[in-house]
Parts: sequence; structure tokens; C-alpha cells
Amino acid sequence: MRQIAARPSLAFMLVPLPLILFLMLAVIFAPGLPRDLPVAVVDLDGSTVSRQIVRMADAAADVEVVEQLASLSEARQALVAQRAYAVLLIPAGLEHDILLGQGPEVVVFSNSQFLTAGGIVGRSLSATVSTFSAGVSLRLLEAQGVDSDRAMDLITPIPVQQSPLFNPSLDYIQFLLTAIMPTVLQIFICATAVLSFSRDHHSPNGMPRLQRIALSPTRAILGKLLPYTFVGTFVLLLGDVLLFNVFDASFRGNVFVFFLNGFMFVLTCQAMGALIALIAKDTTGALGMMGLIVAPSFGFAGVSFPRFGMTLFSQIWGAIIPLTPYLQLRTDQTLRGAPLEYSLPTMGWLFAQLLVFSALLWVMTRKTMAQIPVSENATVKTQESKP
Amino acid sequence: MRKLRHFLVEVFGVIGTLFADDSAKSTMIVGILIYSVLYPQPYVGEVLRDVPVVVIDQDNSTASRTLVREIDVTDLVDVTMSAPDMETARNAFFRRDVYGIFVIPAGFEADILASRPAPVAAYSDGSYLLIYSNVMRAVATVAGTMGAQVNYARLTALGVDDGVARTMLSPVAVTNVAVFNPQGGYASYVIPAAFVLILQQTLLMGIGLLHAGRRPPTGERLWATITAYFALYMVWVAFTQILIPYLYSIPRTGDLATLLLISVPFICACIAMGFAIAMAIPWREGVVFLLVVIGMPLFFLSGISWPVEMIPDHLRTLSLLVPSSTAISAFVAVDQMGASARDVAGAIQTQIVLVVVYSTLAVALSRLPRNRR
Repeated sequence: MRQIAARPSLAFMLVPLPLILFLMLAVIFAPGLPRDLPVAVVDLDGSTVSRQIVRMADAAADVEVVEQLASLSEARQALVAQRAYAVLLIPAGLEHDILLGQGPEVVVFSNSQFLTAGGIVGRSLSATVSTFSAGVSLRLLEAQGVDSDRAMDLITPIPVQQSPLFNPSLDYIQFLLTAIMPTVLQIFICATAVLSFSRDHHSPNGMPRLQRIALSPTRAILGKLLPYTFVGTFVLLLGDVLLFNVFDASFRGNVFVFFLNGFMFVLTCQAMGALIALIAKDTTGALGMMGLIVAPSFGFAGVSFPRFGMTLFSQIWGAIIPLTPYLQLRTDQTLRGAPLEYSLPTMGWLFAQLLVFSALLWVMTRKTMAQIPVSENATVKTQESKP
Repeated sequence: MRKLRHFLVEVFGVIGTLFADDSAKSTMIVGILIYSVLYPQPYVGEVLRDVPVVVIDQDNSTASRTLVREIDVTDLVDVTMSAPDMETARNAFFRRDVYGIFVIPAGFEADILASRPAPVAAYSDGSYLLIYSNVMRAVATVAGTMGAQVNYARLTALGVDDGVARTMLSPVAVTNVAVFNPQGGYASYVIPAAFVLILQQTLLMGIGLLHAGRRPPTGERLWATITAYFALYMVWVAFTQILIPYLYSIPRTGDLATLLLISVPFICACIAMGFAIAMAIPWREGVVFLLVVIGMPLFFLSGISWPVEMIPDHLRTLSLLVPSSTAISAFVAVDQMGASARDVAGAIQTQIVLVVVYSTLAVALSRLPRNRR
């Protein structure tokens, strides 16, 4: 603890910095769902009917028609310059073709390079045109003498009731923000563990001093890591308070299991970070190695692209990173409200990680503490050889 | 001529220093190579296929079995089990054996035959959007096609003429064309963008490792240092923006001249920012720590995975201070969408402004007594 207090910059990086990042992420995702995303329209018909379609598209919550363009090449430019995420192309003669029953085709070009935004506006525009088409269909059927209730039934013979479980509004706070915050914190926890262990391991007389103070590897590990455990758990809790109180993320699980999960997660990350510190040659090397292992873990955890769709290598790699079981258990115990028995295997998995990393850490600590005379000489030598 | 040769010797000297420093080497060289293998791994499948779903078929008729079969043959989902009741289905769902539940209520076929609406229900996990979208797309497509067949049969049975029946059911057709990333591939979406950020972060970190808390180079040595980093990172731009997409079969369309027009100011901005950070934080570990933890939040400011229109204006303006906030989407526009220099002019200008701002800042900071030791 004294070490933390002695370095104000370290103290800043421990608590305020993750909170600042949490707040920043929260501000980014605060709307929850993208709304009024810009789209362009190429209306080659210019009829009452085509204008009605454009008005309907604009009225949808997630889309805003920002430009009316004259040609498809101008529209392409709007897509490339990112002024619009999609283009609605209404062909010439639309009204005429509808009246003649020639089945005109409206085309939506959506930018799928921006998967989220392009997907949302593409779906919204298609849905608008389908709704419009259904309206026309209804009028045609009524004109044939079918009464309107029956005409409705005819249009959708097999209605699909689509139910998103657990996240009914398909909100990005529930989907992404709740997963990103622990991911960012995982990097923090590992990095602080790396710093705390490296300071002794990589300074000439650090390990002997640690040996003198702590006497045994277990006490050394606990003494070094526990202060950070409390800080890490505290920051994780603050982030969760923000999520569950300010953003009203749903919590349907078991509070005790949720806390236990968070605590085990912090410990596992620490053990992993400290282990990396002992393996690496110096502090910055350890931080770099930690970054390489931990920074891409969001992808491997399977929040955005699910794990069952990954290659075997990615599944295995994901399985050894603490974030993966933590997020899975977190989803179980917050959003899903899964009965406890379903979460036990995941808890076992996280606990196994904790055991393995701690055991390796203990062995490594004992080894480095035992070979002090050798490493002391070695470090002194390298110190001398440096200019 | 001699001067130039002397300068080149200096440049190679700087690169030599970089290779001699283990941390800098592992960040600026080995790190990028490892990333290029490791980072794309979760996404190499590109498109999510065969999401396991469970079916509760309470009708068990010819019509319901046809519906289930049609759903199973789509690429999107895979019917891996069939459950007698919701209890069993829920159980499989919580165990994560399946990710969607599809219910066909009793009386499905009877309703169709009686010309009544025959509803079906689909449940999936809204907290995994990609999975949810696959399940719903599969069910909606199949139910739509089957419904259209049913309708067509009904109308023609009523004596409506064949062609008229067709237009009545779908008077306006709509086609959704996905452009720039036609198959909606996940790797094509995330990898070109992520590597721009990786370049920025490793360059900032490398400069921090080599220069934080040390006396800044001066005169010719300074220019040689800048040239060395610039040359090294132009190689990395080519590697990450041309070779990596090629290796992972990600289509790219951009032309090299435009790529050069955006990458030169971007790399310069990163170098200037790197020196400004190194002068501002004289603690090497601190620089690395800071850069490692802010990497991911920076990605979400780039507009790739979350639209920039949704980021509050103040935060967006503030984020312009980091080169990647505008550069990532500009690189993506050039490489993946074939943008011209005019289309990304705004981003290029921002990078140039950042070069000036951070160079001035770095020079000012280097005059602090602390950095003059």
C-alpha cells in the first residue's frame, strides 16, 4: 500500500483512470440503440407513391433521410464518404408499375463494411418497403371484394412471433457495454499485478528483500497482491453500480454468486499477471507480453462473434483467459437469471483457472526466491554492462 | 551526397538501437507479427453458420415437419434437437447446448388448411446479437416463403388469375444489397480496422519505451530517428493493409496512391504524438500501461463498431486528438470501399493538424528542465 501512495501517477492509474474509461464507454453507449442513422435516397420516380415511401422510411426511429440524390453514382459517393450508411433506390415508373401490377423492385444498398450501422439501416429500410407493399396488397385484396380482416390474415399466413429473451429491446448497453467494462478492467488488473511483481523481481535486490520480509512464497504473493485485489474488486463494483443503477441493466441472478464470480475473476487475473511478470525478462517486457495475451481477449471471449463459430485454436485460447468464463457466468447471473445449477460448470472452470495460475505462480515465486544468489549476481552484472 | 550517406548511417543506427532494446523490439516488431497471427483467429470463420437450435413441434404434422426441415437446411441455423416441452428446451438453452427455441403450436396444419393465420414462435438470446439475428432471419425467411406458397394456393383456388395473385401478394419487391462486404463477413469488418489501431498503439508504445525519461535526440539524430520510425511503419502499413487482408482472404479494393495519402500523415501524427507522450510521461512503464489500457476504448471511438453519429459531440471532438479516431474509418474507406482522396480529405486534414499540434507540444515539453538533463 505504501508503494501505491508513494507514486501518485500509479495511484492515478489504479482508480481514477479505469473509472474515467468506464465513464467514457458509458457515454459512448448511453443511447443504447442507434437512432436516426443517416441514409440517402435516389428517387427516380418522383411520384406521390415514391414520396410516401421516403416519408415512411424517414419516420422510422433508426433511420433519417439526410440526402436526396439524382443518380446512383452520387449515392455511391455518399456511401464511400460515410455521409450515409445506406441508399434507398426507387426505380423510375414505380407508381405506374404498381398500378399495372408489374411488380416493380425497390433496392436497398447498405454498407456492410460498417456491420452494425449498415445492418440496422438496411433492415429498417427493407422493413419499410415491405410494410408499404403489404399496404398496397391489402387495398388490392379489398378491391377484389375480400373484407379487410380476412385480407390481413391472407397477407401473413404464418406470422412469426419473434421474442428476444433477456434483452427485449436488443440494447447495446446489455450486449456490449456490460462485456467491455470487465474486459478493460481485466487489462488493468493484470497490468497492476505485473507492475507490483516486476518491481521486485527485476530490481537488483528486490527478491532478497521480499524473502526477508515475507519469509515464504505464499506470504510474499499474498502481501504483494492483496492490496490490488481490494482496489480491483472495488473498481469492478463501482463499474457495476454504474451499469445496474444508472443504466438499469437487468439483474436477475444471485447476488452472492455474482460477487464471488467478480472476486475470483480479479484473483485469477492477478495470478496470471504476476506469473507473466516472473516469466518475462523485465518490467516493460512483462507489460508488453501481458498486452499481447490480454488485449485481444474480447474477441476470444465470444461476445461479438460466438465461440461455437470459432476454430478449435480460438476456442482453446479463449478457454484459458479468465475473461471468458467470467463473462459467461456474468451473463448467466445477470441477464439470463439462470438457475444456479447451470452456472456451476462455469464457476468450476474459472476456479480451475485460478488454481492453475496460482499454482504456477507459487512454483515460480519459490524458484526465483530460491535462486537469489545467482540472479542477484546476474542482475548486477547486467546493470554494470549497461552504459 | 556524403551528407545523405551520413544521414542514412544515422537512420540505420537508430534502427540498430531499436533492435538492441528488447522491449522496443518486442513491441514494434515481434508484437505486430504475433498480433497478425493471433488477433484474427476468432474471426477467421467470417460468417456465423449453423447456430444450434431446439424445436418444439407440438403439431407433428406434414406441414410442421416441412417447416422444421426447411429451417434446418438454411445455413443460418442447425436444428440439433427436438424437445417435447418448454421445460426441456429451457434446460438445453441454459446449458448453452442450443441458442434458439422454435415453437410450432398444435393446430398449425389445421389452421393453414382452414385459411386461418397459423402463428409460430421463435425465441433467442437478445444479449448475443449475432446469434439472435441468425435465428430470427432463418425463421422469418422460411415462414415467409412457406406463407407465400400457402397464399398463392389459396388465391388461385379462389379463382384469381395466376399473375394477378402474384402481384396481389407482393406488389412491390424489395432487394437488400450489401455493398463493400457482400457476405457480411466479421473478419472483413473488424480486421482492417483493428490493425490501424494496433499500428498506432505499438508505435506510440515503442517511442515511449525508447525515449520516455531520456534525453530527447537533437539535430540530425532527431531527423534520423523520425525517418527510421517512419520507414519502419510504412513497411508495417503495407504489411497490415495489403498482406494481411490477402492472407486472410479479405477483399480489398483501394488503390495504393490513396493509401499512401492517408498513411503518411497518419504515421507522422502518431510519431509526433509518441514523442509528446514520451516527453510528458517520463516513466516508461507508465507509458506502456496507459497505452495498453486505452486501446480498446479507442476502438469504440472510431465509428467502426458503433456509429460516430451516436457519440456525443463533445466526446467526438475530444477524440479527434487521437489519430486513430479519424484514421481508422479513413483507412477502411480507402482499402475496403475504394474511396478517393477527396472522400477522406477531412481525415487527412485532421492528421496534418495533429502532426503540427503534437510536434509543437513535443518541442515545448522537451524544453522543460526535466527533459533537458
